[in-house]
Amino acid sequence: MANMQQVARPNQLPSRKAASATPAPSRLFRIGLLALPLLVLILWTVIPFIVTISVSLKTKGEVFGNFGLIPQNLTLASYQEVLASSDFRRAFLNSVIVGLGTALLTIVLALPGAYAMARFRFRGRHLLLLFVLLPRLVPDVGTMVPLYKLAAATNMIDNPLSLIIAYSGMLLPLAVWLLVGFIQQIPREIEESAAVDGATLWERIRYLVLPLSAPAIITVVVLAFREAWNEFTLVLVLTSSPEGRTLPYALFLMGDGGITNYPAAAAFALITVIPFLLIYMRFERHVVAGLTSGSSK
Amino acid sequence: MTATTERVNKKASGRQPPSRDRGGMTNLGQSTLTPYLFSSPAIIAVTAILAFPVLYGIWQSLYRPEVLGAPAQFVGLQNYIDTFTDPDFGNALYRTMVFAGGSIIVSTVLGLFFAFALYRASHRLRVLRSITIAPYLISSVAAAVMFRILFNGQFGLVNVALGSIGIEGPVWFADRTWAMAVVIFTQVWTDLPLTVLLLLGGLMTVDRSYLDAALVDGATGFRRAIHVTIPLLTPQLLITIIWMSYSTVTGLGIVLPLTGGGPQGATNTLAMEMYITAFQELNFHEGLAIATFVIVLNALLTLLYIRVGRRFEVEA
Repeated sequence: MANMQQVARPNQLPSRKAASATPAPSRLFRIGLLALPLLVLILWTVIPFIVTISVSLKTKGEVFGNFGLIPQNLTLASYQEVLASSDFRRAFLNSVIVGLGTALLTIVLALPGAYAMARFRFRGRHLLLLFVLLPRLVPDVGTMVPLYKLAAATNMIDNPLSLIIAYSGMLLPLAVWLLVGFIQQIPREIEESAAVDGATLWERIRYLVLPLSAPAIITVVVLAFREAWNEFTLVLVLTSSPEGRTLPYALFLMGDGGITNYPAAAAFALITVIPFLLIYMRFERHVVAGLTSGSSK
Repeated sequence: MTATTERVNKKASGRQPPSRDRGGMTNLGQSTLTPYLFSSPAIIAVTAILAFPVLYGIWQSLYRPEVLGAPAQFVGLQNYIDTFTDPDFGNALYRTMVFAGGSIIVSTVLGLFFAFALYRASHRLRVLRSITIAPYLISSVAAAVMFRILFNGQFGLVNVALGSIGIEGPVWFADRTWAMAVVIFTQVWTDLPLTVLLLLGGLMTVDRSYLDAALVDGATGFRRAIHVTIPLLTPQLLITIIWMSYSTVTGLGIVLPLTGGGPQGATNTLAMEMYITAFQELNFHEGLAIATFVIVLNALLTLLYIRVGRRFEVEA
């Protein structure tokens, strides 16, 4: 806080006067004060990653022998070990399947409802919308036991489909929220004139609404994939064998009861993190808005 | 100025999709049933995955089998009585409050600090914002592994750094107090990007004229931040606090992979207590009583934040 005060001051001076008149050392000082909090922010964000990368490149013995960040015998052996392990491969495959399945199912479930609630006027519209949006407040703790019982009763434990359905259901409130908001901003007149020209409801949705809401759809897809890729508490109770587990569960088991192989755990964590970071970077523009509105509802 | 107003308007209209009925539009040729057909998949899925489980959980929390595996019988509030009289429950409630309170305080202070810092630089350094969000994009288990490495008592960077200035760092995960501190720290680390982004968004919509007026009145620097900017950020602060409270009161994602509730139950929160009761002791019905309590607690806390927040809200 004290820093902020000092940083805040310089910028308030009318810049016209300040820029030329100020002697060089104090200008440097001001830039330093402005940059310092940003430097803290960068360090805060990247240090845990750097430490993990460093450990992942060491040998098991070196972790306890060389505390420095630069490994003496740089090795990729831990990555090879993780990539070769059958538990990792199985979990990775499951994560991809569940991620893509969740993304697809979420869109298929959310889009028609969002379209109807954004476009049609019908009795009970507000109530139905409220019903879809409200469960966003339901925490995982509340659904763990019931969903486990449901999956056990229907023999769906370890079935990727049970994860796909559960995650899609959890994401629906957010997905519908984002899509309704977006579709409402598409001018109604476009559809009306298409209707006058004889386009059916299906044609209008297929050729007008879908392409025009592409940004919102991409956001929902990325967020759905993220949920499936990172989710940990439901996969914990809805799967019981390596055949069904996703990456977070497999990673959790590596450290349950104490991590024995630190470089491998570090490498596993990083391999888990990288795919979604790449996806995110590709679609960043769309997703930032979705991430923040996800909490603010 | 116009640009700001436009952005606010755009935001406002995006934020309230359901509320605008536009009279006099053609009805786009749908039959009376179409809207209901369209909405039904979402309604059914939300019912099955979210609404039904909660109601089923509340209902089943009133039942209990006499022995494991026997059919459950109605026992009224017995599960709740047993839960509330168990000393573990009181401890878990206390720890949950420490966890939630600590996380809210640390994330609000750091969130404001970083949001102000980014606000001054964000138009020049957009890359910075992309880097900042990384902790929010990774799974809580991966974050837990990273922090177990960072805070390792023997080789973790934190203790190595402390050692280099002559301080012997604690064995973080074996010490009851420090373990909770690390849990709070990790939770804040993963959720802070959301706090920073929301506050940054709030700062950008704050009308410059308020800040200029404050400046004319002679309020500068720290005082301006405390008396003008932060009150104007009340809506965003409220959202971030509600979110932080929700993730700490109801969440397992950080605690379970980071400490598993240990050492000796020192980081056993209510959510952990529920998980252990239901899935390790296989006492599902008592687990459901804890889960129901957590849901109610979370709802009450949310209402409390909103009520307190209203008092601070300024007419903008």
